[in-house]
Amino acid sequence: MSEDVTQLEARGLTRHFVVRTGHGVFRPKRTVRAVDDVSLRLDAGRVTAVVGESGSGKTVLARMLARIVSPTSGELLLEGTSIRARSRRTLAYASDVQMVLQDPFGSINPVHRIRHSLERPLLIHHTPKNEVDDRAHAVLARVSLEPPERYLDRYPHELSGGQLQRVSIARALCVNPKVLLADEPISMLDVSVRLGVLNLLRGLCDNEHMAILYITHDIASARYIADETIVMYAGQVVERSNGTRLIDEPQHPYTQLLIASVPDPNNPLRRAPEVEDRNSQGLFPDVGCRFAPRCPHAMDKCRQVAPPIFTLSDDHSSRCWLHDGHAVEVSLAERAQGGSISTT
Amino acid sequence: MIEEFATLVDPNDVDDAVLEIEDFSVDYGWGDSAVHAVNNVTLSVRRSRVLGIAGESGSGKSTLVYAVTRLLRAPGVITGGTARLSFDDSSSSTDQMTTLELTTASERELRKIRWSRVSIVLQSALNALNPVLRIGHEFDEVLKTHRPDMNKSERRQRAAELLALVGLNEERLARFPHELSGGQRQRVMIALALSLDPQLVIMDEPTTALDVVTQREIINELAQLRAQFGFAMIFITHDLTLLVELADDIAVMYAGNVVEWAPARDLYDTPRHPYTLGLLSSSPPLSGERRELVGIAGSPPDMSQPLLGCSFHARCPYALDRCSQEAPPLRVIDKTGRKVACWLHDADNVVPGPLRRTVRISAPTQVVNDAVSGSNQAVVL
Repeated sequence: MSEDVTQLEARGLTRHFVVRTGHGVFRPKRTVRAVDDVSLRLDAGRVTAVVGESGSGKTVLARMLARIVSPTSGELLLEGTSIRARSRRTLAYASDVQMVLQDPFGSINPVHRIRHSLERPLLIHHTPKNEVDDRAHAVLARVSLEPPERYLDRYPHELSGGQLQRVSIARALCVNPKVLLADEPISMLDVSVRLGVLNLLRGLCDNEHMAILYITHDIASARYIADETIVMYAGQVVERSNGTRLIDEPQHPYTQLLIASVPDPNNPLRRAPEVEDRNSQGLFPDVGCRFAPRCPHAMDKCRQVAPPIFTLSDDHSSRCWLHDGHAVEVSLAERAQGGSISTT
Repeated sequence: MIEEFATLVDPNDVDDAVLEIEDFSVDYGWGDSAVHAVNNVTLSVRRSRVLGIAGESGSGKSTLVYAVTRLLRAPGVITGGTARLSFDDSSSSTDQMTTLELTTASERELRKIRWSRVSIVLQSALNALNPVLRIGHEFDEVLKTHRPDMNKSERRQRAAELLALVGLNEERLARFPHELSGGQRQRVMIALALSLDPQLVIMDEPTTALDVVTQREIINELAQLRAQFGFAMIFITHDLTLLVELADDIAVMYAGNVVEWAPARDLYDTPRHPYTLGLLSSSPPLSGERRELVGIAGSPPDMSQPLLGCSFHARCPYALDRCSQEAPPLRVIDKTGRKVACWLHDADNVVPGPLRRTVRISAPTQVVNDAVSGSNQAVVL
């Protein structure tokens, strides 16, 4: 099986933006740490989900992986070969790593037929002219837009959101990439067609051994599709685990907050979480844990020293002082009542 | 397991309705090229209750409320129906409720009830707030227009109170919209909507653009505000699970029609329309075994084409021959007073299993920590 082949690896990927704050000519500069020291591996045949709220740095991460944004520091390895972070993106890289964007209405040129959108990447990637048409047909069939002839000569406004997002995925698949970076591919779609797109991505992964990065703020969809789930907060990875464990047994207080916030009428035990100090939202402290101002379990230590990543089990890690040297159990009932984390 | 129904409320009991919509239809455009965006919708909102309207984009849910409040611009046209708003008129001496027919009301009458009786919170707070005006100015303008007796310092005082209601600091009054986060902007919108103490607040996807934690905060706040002021609410969203928590009754719209209208919990536990069932099984669950879900095949119909039969029949797994010929009316189908527009529930049909069940089937098994004995018990909820 080619399951464990790492297609794309990121080591310590970091991106800082320098912004001016306040007013006036001599206003101070401030560094926004959009992505801080993120490492991840995208394996063939696996879906890796990155979950986080807006502003958590998940899109900047995807753009760095696609090499649209150059990292401040860190290393990218494509099939084990290191790529210099500051070197330009090459055609070869783009043919291996492709991106699917959030809004299909905005990412597909509305004045051209679907055919144009699909053929352009093929021509740019030097596909022989006589193959272009066949490849465009084949790729539409791969995303279940059949028969392809029905769609090739349509304009984007003639298709529904779900169909357009499939076209967008087809466009990414045109050049036979090994890695697909999907940035919130379902958030702009209607509820009833979301599952279709998710199942399509899962199918590409299972049947064609594609490595997929699935970025979302919808933690339930990550649970549905992902082999590994990574939770980001303020540019940092705060918790990661395989399968559904992260959502079923969340350990980091932020993950717990995230899950408790999702409307889930099936679970009457759950109480709505109290979020403390919400006016501080958007401002992350420079020292200590970035989640500390909103964390119900924050200790003095959290405000002074930034927590490292603690390994909880083979494939489960969390960036929280609560897990320092202890195996921590938070029962569902306690979590539901917003109770404190107990150590066993 | 017990058969449980949430507070049984008869949606037909509209004695204390704040807003009654009857047979309401809206078109975009005229003549043959008209798009029938809303078709013969009948709904009502009762005093101090929450009506949730769920539906996908293009289902006509926003068009309906814009038309009812007469905010709809050309080429939108109200082609039929009535919408009656009931409110206590402080200017009249009697205790009687004043009723205003919104579809025929003059601009002057509308101006009286807008904001002070019915207010609206729009989806995109960034677009709804004027980007070149400070937040305080927005409040000032509303109060100046509708409460001419207030002086400047009273208005400022009131604005600060309103911001405090939604958990924002007074100093935000001096800020511009772009200086606030999405959640804060939406809070400002809610505070503005409540500024004249309306009886009915319409929320058009107020949390759709927000992330889930902020959404949760706003939903909690709305619940508190409602407990405090007792206004009725129409909450529009595409997220049916959110409505189950928030709404008393839910109306599900599809292609311009209300296809099911029932008490929230009943609708969630025992959906009766195939589209409601499909919508509910389209969101991956947060617990339980991971298994493949299918959602609803196909895509919503093209509204510019005339629809023959039920608007959902092309995507419906249980469609009968009749469904492609005749449009089903919205009718009461059981003693809970729920209304469904589906031929499957017509007299002599055998209703498919999933649409017949009386108790929820997706009861999750949860491990509840027993504080006394310290042991873990599996409890079927």
